[in-house]
Amino acid sequence: MTIGTTGRTEAIESRGNPGAVARPRVGGSVGTVEIAEVGTMTYRSRLTEALAAGWRYGGTHVAAGGDRVRTLLTAPGGATLLLGVPVEGGKVPTVVDLAPAACWDEREAADLHGIGFIGHAPLRSLVDHGDLGRWTVPVAGTDLCQVAVGPIHAGVIESGHFRFHLVGDRILHLDARLFYKHRGLERAAEGSTLDRGAAYVARACGACAVANGVAYAHACEQVLGLVPTPALSRARTLLLELERLWSHLNDVAAICAGVGLAAGNTRFAGFTERARRVNAELSGHRFLFGTVRVGGNDLVADGGQVRAVRAALDALRVEVTSGWRELMFNASFQDRLPGAGVVATEAARRLGTVGPAARAAGLAEDVRTASPRLHYPGFRPVVPDRATGDVRARLEQRGLELWQTFDLLDGLLDRPVEPATAERGAPPGPIGVGRVESPRGATTCVVESDGARVTRLRLRTGSYANWPSVAAAAPGNLLVDFPLINKSFELCYACADR
Amino acid sequence: MFALLRDLRHLRRSLALPPPDRGRSLAVRHVDAGSCNGCEHELTLTASPFCDLARFGLGIVASPRHADVLLVSGAVTRRMREPLLTAYAAMPEPRRVAALGDCALGREVLGMPDDLAGPVEDLLPVDLRIPGCPPPPDAIAEALLGLVDGRQGPTLIR
Repeated sequence: MTIGTTGRTEAIESRGNPGAVARPRVGGSVGTVEIAEVGTMTYRSRLTEALAAGWRYGGTHVAAGGDRVRTLLTAPGGATLLLGVPVEGGKVPTVVDLAPAACWDEREAADLHGIGFIGHAPLRSLVDHGDLGRWTVPVAGTDLCQVAVGPIHAGVIESGHFRFHLVGDRILHLDARLFYKHRGLERAAEGSTLDRGAAYVARACGACAVANGVAYAHACEQVLGLVPTPALSRARTLLLELERLWSHLNDVAAICAGVGLAAGNTRFAGFTERARRVNAELSGHRFLFGTVRVGGNDLVADGGQVRAVRAALDALRVEVTSGWRELMFNASFQDRLPGAGVVATEAARRLGTVGPAARAAGLAEDVRTASPRLHYPGFRPVVPDRATGDVRARLEQRGLELWQTFDLLDGLLDRPVEPATAERGAPPGPIGVGRVESPRGATTCVVESDGARVTRLRLRTGSYANWPSVAAAAPGNLLVDFPLINKSFELCYACADR
Repeated sequence: MFALLRDLRHLRRSLALPPPDRGRSLAVRHVDAGSCNGCEHELTLTASPFCDLARFGLGIVASPRHADVLLVSGAVTRRMREPLLTAYAAMPEPRRVAALGDCALGREVLGMPDDLAGPVEDLLPVDLRIPGCPPPPDAIAEALLGLVDGRQGPTLIR
């Protein structure tokens, strides 16, 4: 692999049906959502047609009032479609057989809203912890044992429970039971004003605060009929890429920790610290908290500040390149990575894997290619030369995206940052959908509103989308490799649990 | 033997290692009781070269049975209440509890009341309060060092 280049870029828009999706017009349909209320009979057939045409499943939530279930579909070009189906007798048809990525969404809707999904059997509990038998997959056989890990882990890790079914040291099956950190944030946000709702979204996850915040702001601005000005788009893109920078540096450090390579871990932990200090210098907060709000942006950076940040990032880039080269040529480190925790291309597509994990599996999908509300002109996702979907590919993917992010930041920091607003320019609507490429993948925020207040909020983050992939990557590997596999995804528990 | 000790002291001075009055240690067990992941990310960086808490004899240990301090982050969700109390019960005496971050201190906590059991103070005797959203690594380090030294630093009462 060539070091320090942006790697191979690949256009994947040809897959599916790009002609069906019009290019977004400025001031017109900038990322608007089409809402289709369908009957119980046509719900599954509409979904089947869309999936066959290359659309991807984007999440299922129970609508405000609880009388409908809505499923989001996204086209490769960025168009979004919400299919609403009425709840009849407390039930709707399942789509989990058509889109396996719907598994967690339907289980969550069943646990939190009491909706039944006809055909989803067994409908295991997810958020509801209940008794063991209700959430584990029964595994039977000779020489079988279980290893229970968590919710409290040995290191500084978020809380969650992993139930490994093993034969010897080899993992046969993994049940991940999360939602220990469920705080009911979405329910708590209901009834608050659109402005105030941002606080609940921000609290969902500190590591993805900007991505979640921008997704929420986009959704609210769709509801209000607002379109960001170019200055606002640039400011938010800058914040998103700064978040990606520290996050990817942290991921590389975490993968080093996963194999016990202290030298790589501390070096990249040091880079992470420096990236967070850059954030603090620019915004006053190391995690960029409080920088995203609905309808505008208050971030200010004069010419001197912007130059200082740019210089700090230039210096960081030089050292990150050198640290990365050391990792690439560290044979004992590299020896641990290939073939561990494989999520192959077809599995990634089926499971609805997103973000670096999907791109490392050969799916060159990135929300940044179709983000008309943000500033990504001519963006092309990078994929590694060997998109093998294992830990090595996921590590290499972080490296490729780091150079891309450094390039993007360099371009965005060529002028001062000034306060900006979103302006009227699109028809208001009852539902807004914001999609943003977070460091961990596509994050979707659906806001249903009466025009002033949040009546339903659903935040489906990249971490939420990817947790089933972690469980799918584990079987066949040795138990001792699981921390490494887990770190190569480096998902948040807080984002998923909410 | 004395020559060797003298050489070691000299080496320690020349490397600017911590003075001998910090010759104690503290084993910390962290429990995330429902945070936003911000406190965890900052706590992780207390091990970065900028802070390197290990040089002061402070380390994160894998089990509460080895721990002197239970470092709790997050608002304490209903589902983390039991695991938190179990971890505390597993610790040997003497033990201390530190609340890490504003959520653990019960400040501006968001969520549904029936999903929350916190703040930490309602469940456990808190000895050390580390405010911040999230507190940066140097603030966490300073507060924990205060516990080692038995002093009440300015960050403890802010």
